[in-house]
Amino acid sequence: MNALASPVSTIRHSAWKVWGNPIFARYCQSRLRFRGLGVALLIPLIIAGFIVAMANSIGIRTGMDPADAARMAVIPLLVLQGVILFVLGTAQVAGGMTAERDEGVIDYQRLIPMTPLAKVAGYLFGLPVREYTMFLITLPFTAWALWRGDVAWKVWLPLYGIVFTSTLLYHFTGLLTGTVARNRRWAFLVSIGLVFCLYTVIPQMAKFGLVFFKYLTITPVFEESLAGLLPKQAGAVVKIGQQLVPTVKFFNLDFSEAVFSVFSQGGLILTFIIMLCRKWRRNESHLLGKLWATGFFVWIQILLLGNALPLIEPGSLFPSRAFIRMIRIFPERPPSQAEAALMSGIYGLATLALIFVLAGIITPSSENQLRGWRRARKQGVSSLPPLADSATGFWFVLIMAIVGAAGWFVFTRALVESRWFPGLTVPLQTFGVFAAVMFAGGVGYQALLEAKGARFANLVSILAGAVPVLAGAVLGTLSDRMIPAAAWLIGISRLSTPFYASATLISLTDLPPTAARAVPRAFYFWLLVWSLVTLWLIVRLWATRKAMARRVLLAQSDDPTAAAQAKA
Amino acid sequence: MNLPSPATNGSTPAIDIRYLRVDYGDFVAVDDLTLSVPPGEVFGLVGPNGAGKTSTFRVLTTLMEPTYGEVMLDGVDAFEDIESARRIIGYMPDLAPVPTDLKVWEFLDFHAAAYGLGNRAQRRERVEQCLGEVALTAQRNNWCKTLSRGQTQRVVLAKTLLHRPRVLILDEPASGLDPLARRELRGTLRRLAESGATVFVSSHILSELAEMCTSLCVMNRGRLLASGTADQVRHQLGNTDRLLTATLLGRHEEASAWLASQPGVHDLRIAGQQVIFGFKGSDDAQADLMEGLVRLGIRVRAFEEKRSSFEDILVDVAESNRHP
Repeated sequence: MNALASPVSTIRHSAWKVWGNPIFARYCQSRLRFRGLGVALLIPLIIAGFIVAMANSIGIRTGMDPADAARMAVIPLLVLQGVILFVLGTAQVAGGMTAERDEGVIDYQRLIPMTPLAKVAGYLFGLPVREYTMFLITLPFTAWALWRGDVAWKVWLPLYGIVFTSTLLYHFTGLLTGTVARNRRWAFLVSIGLVFCLYTVIPQMAKFGLVFFKYLTITPVFEESLAGLLPKQAGAVVKIGQQLVPTVKFFNLDFSEAVFSVFSQGGLILTFIIMLCRKWRRNESHLLGKLWATGFFVWIQILLLGNALPLIEPGSLFPSRAFIRMIRIFPERPPSQAEAALMSGIYGLATLALIFVLAGIITPSSENQLRGWRRARKQGVSSLPPLADSATGFWFVLIMAIVGAAGWFVFTRALVESRWFPGLTVPLQTFGVFAAVMFAGGVGYQALLEAKGARFANLVSILAGAVPVLAGAVLGTLSDRMIPAAAWLIGISRLSTPFYASATLISLTDLPPTAARAVPRAFYFWLLVWSLVTLWLIVRLWATRKAMARRVLLAQSDDPTAAAQAKA
Repeated sequence: MNLPSPATNGSTPAIDIRYLRVDYGDFVAVDDLTLSVPPGEVFGLVGPNGAGKTSTFRVLTTLMEPTYGEVMLDGVDAFEDIESARRIIGYMPDLAPVPTDLKVWEFLDFHAAAYGLGNRAQRRERVEQCLGEVALTAQRNNWCKTLSRGQTQRVVLAKTLLHRPRVLILDEPASGLDPLARRELRGTLRRLAESGATVFVSSHILSELAEMCTSLCVMNRGRLLASGTADQVRHQLGNTDRLLTATLLGRHEEASAWLASQPGVHDLRIAGQQVIFGFKGSDDAQADLMEGLVRLGIRVRAFEEKRSSFEDILVDVAESNRHP
């Protein structure tokens, strides 16, 4: 029965051989059963058939060229496929992953001898296997429409390539939320919310200089391909419109939208893979290692700058000009200094927010630190490996703060010293101020998090971050006399600092005179206060870490008696 | 507290836990647990709810990193070489879950494939073997979700046996099983131990563990209270209280008066021909009582003893949680 001659022959399941992956096979078994699959396939089959038939019959009725009639079906089919893969697929991945955890069977999967990457691949392609099948059933209709519509392969191939990478990206998002979120409803809502935001809210950020985010969707490639997908006459009109829109440039390197989308999404997919593998290897692991988190931050900065800088000179980056060009009623006018200050502030805030998120990921909890020191003692060393989860995240957040300040400075300088604001300059000292903002915000938060724990740090963030902004907003709307007080109150928040910094250093002209006087004073005062608080927190952090290290390393073992003797 | 560990036979312990501590924030779930289990043992871990059994099991199975302490499984450091440790163990969690969307054989075949147990035919053979071991061959085509609680437990036990683990970690495996299935489980565990596997099993029913285990330990509030054989555990827990009944042929009042004057005797009463009383003391002292009655010239027809059951001991332990 259970003869122990061969405990486990350790077959390594390759992550790339998806067909041989037991997790994938398990989901093929459960999600592709004829009874459930029949209805699931019937619905897209009927809808896709309806779309193609309608396009054809409208074409016949209106005497349209058959190719044009067939082309009319391509975009509705793409929408249907998007719903299947992006919405249903992502929800299934997130929900399915959480269900595994809710039911408790995930513990079995943690113990099976497969590499984390193989497990990730198994879930990634296994959980939404029915949705992939539903997608596949619509493909013959798309193929017919593309062939009959005489759509060039150069048009549809990049588009479907991006559909695939976007699908992977969203499914990875779902997988990650399913792995991290506490319950199924949350995982479902967060993942669907994220996809929804990507197509609605996040593109708006592109209008304020954060162009990178729109490349996480299929929109840029879709827009580029649109002319070739529409009936020829409509396509020609779109093509004229497209000539007015600048092509994507990354530090003045000309890329096609598809290549750049793959580049942008690829980095994020890789980061998600790293996160998931870490979680599968050890559930207590941080989502990202310190080095990867820092690299990820630098990469995001490069992407943000690479996208934004080439758009400054043509003026496409400024939301006001984009709006005017779009509606073409108002005469073109140069952007205002206030707009530049606002955009600089948004860049600073986005950078600071990213530091907060990454600091939250890489900062060890006190339990984690304790474990690290005990392991160090066990291994007979007196320090922690700098890249270990239990090691301090301080240095890495400091690097992020400096890089973030540099990125913010480069963006602001390129913006302000562009042809749109002749005579305006951003001196090098501005970098120092920006660095102080990032230091007092990002590094201060990290030091607080590491020394005092997440609960305390989050409480402080709410009380000193969100509450002053809300209270200040209420105060400021009471009367004009209250505006200086409101400016001082809002200035307490680290979230307002990037805007205060940009306004103070670039332009205060559009502010009411009372606010224009109060904002710089409040900014420098609170910057000084928070910088001093941050320094104090850093000192406390080092003292706490040293004390913990001494306490653990001095004890010869975890034997409480020996520990007490060592202490004595 | 360092209580004597079960005796080792000199070879590497199958499970060696040293100074294990598990904290959930301020709550200490397992506190300074040290124990060692030799290979081939069926070792039981018993304790009331909240004793720290499941936390200990999750650490043993590498599913949770302890706050500190070391766990060696068959000589492998569970947290330094997690992959090797996981190959050694077979784990059956408490309230053993099964996927609701798979049939019994599919569930087992998936795990057999994940553990790399050969081609489809070889896996099928092993699945059938394990199903036979837990007497579920007839249910192989049933949906996991349609199984009763006891059948579910057995399916998960079959899954745990699939890859022939050297260390089996079974959290409350007998819960939900009917008496017949429990007897079969005991047989299965014994056979596993005979084949060289080490079985680490938990229950909150001490008598059940006493029947199936070669040695056991009792935990309460995260701490180890006693370990060893069932008798050793009873002794370590200091529970020597017993109920004695002397059936006498006359002179009951006199006998009662004498017994009441003896140390360790309490709650004495007369019921017909019987004098019933509680006694807390050594076996020698108990023999002295019987001898004393005879010396007094009282004719003793019978002298019966009823010791506290393991359940009573555990109730005492659980009671101490409520009234510390």
